[in-house]
Amino acid sequence: MANIDELRRIVKEIVDREDVKYVIGYEKGTYGFRVSPSFAFTPEDVEKFIFSPLCVHNLAVYPHLEEKLPLKRNEKEDTRKIGIIVKGCDSRAVAQIIQEKGLDREDVVLIGVPCTGVIDLKKINARCPHLMYGEVREENGNFIITAEGDTHRIPKEELLCDVCTQCENPNPILYDVLIGEEVESKKEDYQKVKTLEKKSLEEKWKYWEKKFDRCIRCYACRNGCPLCYCEECMVDNLSPQWVRRSVTISENTAWNIMRAYHLAGRCVGCGQCERACPMDIPLMELNKKLEKDVKELFDYQAGTEEEPVLAVFSPDDPEEFVL
Amino acid sequence: MEEMIIRKEKFHDLVERALKEYTVVAPVDNEGVVLFRRIATPSELTLEFSNTKIPAKSILFQQTETLFTFSQRESVTIDVPEDSEKVLLLGIRPCDAQSLAVLDHVFAGELEDPYVKKRENTVLIGLSCLAPEINCFCTSVGGSPFSAEYTDIQLTDIGENYYIEAKTDKGKKVLDGMSDLFRPATEEDTEKKKELEKKALDAMKRRMDTDDIVDRLENMFESSYWRKIALKCLGCAACTYACPTCHCFDMLDESAVARGARVRVWDSCMYPEYTRQASGYNPRPERMNRIRNRVYHKFNYYPKNWDIIACVGCGRCISVCPVNIDIIDVINRTCEAEP
Repeated sequence: MANIDELRRIVKEIVDREDVKYVIGYEKGTYGFRVSPSFAFTPEDVEKFIFSPLCVHNLAVYPHLEEKLPLKRNEKEDTRKIGIIVKGCDSRAVAQIIQEKGLDREDVVLIGVPCTGVIDLKKINARCPHLMYGEVREENGNFIITAEGDTHRIPKEELLCDVCTQCENPNPILYDVLIGEEVESKKEDYQKVKTLEKKSLEEKWKYWEKKFDRCIRCYACRNGCPLCYCEECMVDNLSPQWVRRSVTISENTAWNIMRAYHLAGRCVGCGQCERACPMDIPLMELNKKLEKDVKELFDYQAGTEEEPVLAVFSPDDPEEFVL
Repeated sequence: MEEMIIRKEKFHDLVERALKEYTVVAPVDNEGVVLFRRIATPSELTLEFSNTKIPAKSILFQQTETLFTFSQRESVTIDVPEDSEKVLLLGIRPCDAQSLAVLDHVFAGELEDPYVKKRENTVLIGLSCLAPEINCFCTSVGGSPFSAEYTDIQLTDIGENYYIEAKTDKGKKVLDGMSDLFRPATEEDTEKKKELEKKALDAMKRRMDTDDIVDRLENMFESSYWRKIALKCLGCAACTYACPTCHCFDMLDESAVARGARVRVWDSCMYPEYTRQASGYNPRPERMNRIRNRVYHKFNYYPKNWDIIACVGCGRCISVCPVNIDIIDVINRTCEAEP
């Protein structure tokens, strides 16, 4: 984990730069183990920045959320850069967006932080419920939780987000400045996907039906995703209406599967959609299946290569699926 | 008011009998996510939960509601669905019950909304809160974990028994002919209930400062405060769909060839499309405008119109927000904000 004093010092320097508008990082949240995204416009704002295993958000979502209103007469566009604190997966998201020409490399200043995995809030809340405020640090493979006077020591793997337990890119792959030592990467074995793949069609449907049935179509998955940045999302289009507004099992299924397909070869596996989902739908299981397919078919991993998978062709590409 | 005691193991008998007369909608555990669902047998329901993920408004003001269906062959026919179903809404928390009193102002106007009929035909069986969640703050907005103010029957889990209060005629009618299941409540039972109520009140950790909230907001519409809060907002609808008093909707036709339906679906003021006009102009172009509107609607416009805050303190919006936009914090810090 990055040293917080060093992080604040470096971020302050960046915020102070004339070509930087603001830097996005993390601050203490308002209750429990919550951490909140934080925007620093001045060096003083940086004082509240923190970095801990509770900093779960992929902040790469924010450049596209910036609202650009029509310019007034004689008003010039603010083209200053946005600084973003990025972990491994977050940096892959930025890299992927840049490949897709959704962002220019010059638009952002990336403050890279090697990541040893973030905590799944559902898991920690189940272990330490009803706390007004808690902090977490990492020590020798354990998370040390200090909350309301008590200290708990819990083995890391019991609290880590599922996607972090097998993260292949914990170190930022794209950055302007790197804070802290690089960490060792793990190996993804797709065990969960393989188990699901072995099920029959009926079993798979039974599995997903229960989950899509409770989808409320709040689109927190989409809005939280750094790679969901279409100017107009297909579900917002009323003419034609690709997916009906009715919240029924068939429309919910259409939405969730279409979104997963749209992210094939693009999803960086940060798990933000699943974390944002208020209805506990395991969306990463869909995304991981497509990630595995793309890896097997094209030996490709989103956000780590030169060009998007759908923009390149190799004569060796498998074509079994072409009839 | 009749105050009775039913042993927990007999509660399924009560539901079983009610099922003969009513459609019973109750909390059902769907892989750890508790939601209101229609039940066919008592064994499907659970009363061991903090609160349902989606509020009870979803039963009376459904996320997807067919207003009428239409078809065209030689001539056009329109069918309006008949709604005479008698519903027993079981296990509703005091905050959700209070939210229906808030929603009544919206839907009970001159035009007959499907909500009104449903409301008339629904009996509310409330369930007192023994253990408020971390983000619960109903006591700050006129509620209480044991409040039975807005229900027809109130249930309180007092250990091996449920304490039952049948408060309205509607409620008493449900329990008609079930007297063999109950015994009258003793002083000891009432004492136990009071003790649990005190414990629940003490467990309420968070407080929203709603003193003069209407006036406080009155002077800060143009404050940069809203822009700061909006910076981190993702613009999803989780807060509004999880809110028991949010009631925005959209109506549209969903048709295929010669038949279709006019449906009403929940909409969210957090979406830019919500206010975008046909010309392309949007009076609430930024997330800042939309967040501010949501807060003002609940804590300024609604109290001014109906003398009631349109927030019941369930804390769901706080818990579901992916980026920790916290309504308690937003309201409490309005005191420090520059106008």
